Amino acid sequence: MNALEIHNLTKTFTGFKLDDVSLTLPSGCIMGLIGENGAGKSTTIKLILDILHKDSGTVTLLGRDNGENIRLTKEEVGVVLDDVGIPECLTAKQVGRVMQNTFRTWNDRMYADLLQKFSLPADKPFKAFSRGMKMKLGIAVAMSHGSRLLLLDEATNGLDPVVRDEVIGMFGEFTRDEDHSILISSHIVSDLEKICDYVAFLHNGRLLLCEEKDQLLAEYGMLHCTAEQLSALDPAAVRSKKESPYGVEAIVQRSAVPAGTVLSPVSLEEVFLFMVKEGKTA
Amino acid sequence: MKGLLLKDFYMTIRYCRAYLLMIAVFVAVSFVGQENLFFVFFPCMISGMLPVTLLAYDERSKWSEYCRVLPYSKAQIVSGKYLVGLIAQLAVLCVTGTAQALRMQAAGMLNLQNFGALMGLLLILSSVASSLVLPFMFRYGVEKGRIAYYVMIGIVTAGGIGATNLFGGNAAADGAVRSVLPLLCAAGVMLYALSWVLSIAFYKKQQA
Repeated sequence: MNALEIHNLTKTFTGFKLDDVSLTLPSGCIMGLIGENGAGKSTTIKLILDILHKDSGTVTLLGRDNGENIRLTKEEVGVVLDDVGIPECLTAKQVGRVMQNTFRTWNDRMYADLLQKFSLPADKPFKAFSRGMKMKLGIAVAMSHGSRLLLLDEATNGLDPVVRDEVIGMFGEFTRDEDHSILISSHIVSDLEKICDYVAFLHNGRLLLCEEKDQLLAEYGMLHCTAEQLSALDPAAVRSKKESPYGVEAIVQRSAVPAGTVLSPVSLEEVFLFMVKEGKTA
Repeated sequence: MKGLLLKDFYMTIRYCRAYLLMIAVFVAVSFVGQENLFFVFFPCMISGMLPVTLLAYDERSKWSEYCRVLPYSKAQIVSGKYLVGLIAQLAVLCVTGTAQALRMQAAGMLNLQNFGALMGLLLILSSVASSLVLPFMFRYGVEKGRIAYYVMIGIVTAGGIGATNLFGGNAAADGAVRSVLPLLCAAGVMLYALSWVLSIAFYKKQQA
């Protein structure tokens, strides 16, 4: 089963349009939604949760249309927003009590274990927490009510490398269960490269690509050559290029260049940056 | 729903300590002091504004966005605030009413008709503020909703001064007010209910 299916999702605001986005997140997988600030990542997540009303398209969450009894679906979806959103005066213990009276499937034991695992004090108010601690509390809440899908909106941004690594490890652990999936948005591509099975690139409200990460990285390579050498290649093989006085850097399709062409591995960040600069779709 | 009420309870205890203290002081002054209705009315007006204060804190902490990802309907989110207001208003009404009943009893002036009229006025005063302001808050957000709050304070103050100047010490006017008080109370309750329904409708239309 797919944890999330989006078909032709469109939403228009004054000055911005999320245009015809389609993507599928299979169960047991992590998908990274990558895009610069204002690309439409948060809008997509709000549309998935029916917080914003879509203009057109369909969203199926855990097998249910998001227009049908979204409250029931939200019981099984853990969400962490960029600002977390927990009132500043509440302690972690009080947050636990509030959530116990919010989610039918709240697991107090798991919450206590996660607080301990994340070294979060139970009696300190939220406002006294560092950015990393706040994010970890949001994640602890999201993972303590039997969630099958986590929607994480910029949840790793602003975390120091140690905490980020720890949190990313937790996400990997979460998806060991084949019934668990994660959609995580970020503009920090390196974070997502470590953990994602699938990547979706959003740029100016348009989906540039949605593909399996390993397949994407295996499919493309970085070619360093001269402009003349590049022009000798089949234009269809070149996904994007960057010219400078010192030569050309191009992302090319490995299968479409002559055998023996020396290509270096390409990173997700390079693919994303090249595509955004050229505005190309794969 | 219980989760929303519990969260607001924690926030009230933490953020509204000053209000609780003011209410206690005003109730105490109204009990021992002269027959100054300001000290009787003021705690009720403060209690009516509690949901507005909590909404402002919700917006500041981004809870107003976060609660939308939790398994609550929009009607429940709005109703939580109205219920908190109702609980606070009834609690303050009980405390103020008890204090006034004891004061009247001590002065040998406890009269059910007078006491009933006072409670009716308190009920209207405590609910009218939130009834008028909350729909604006749910429609336009806290920042713009504050304008409605200031307008409401102006109207209530001007209305109070105007009524005192026109009818103060006038026995006929006093009698007329008493006769329509049950109707005014019913109108106050209906206004609260209407405001509740209106706020739900506004909030359903509002997009994050």
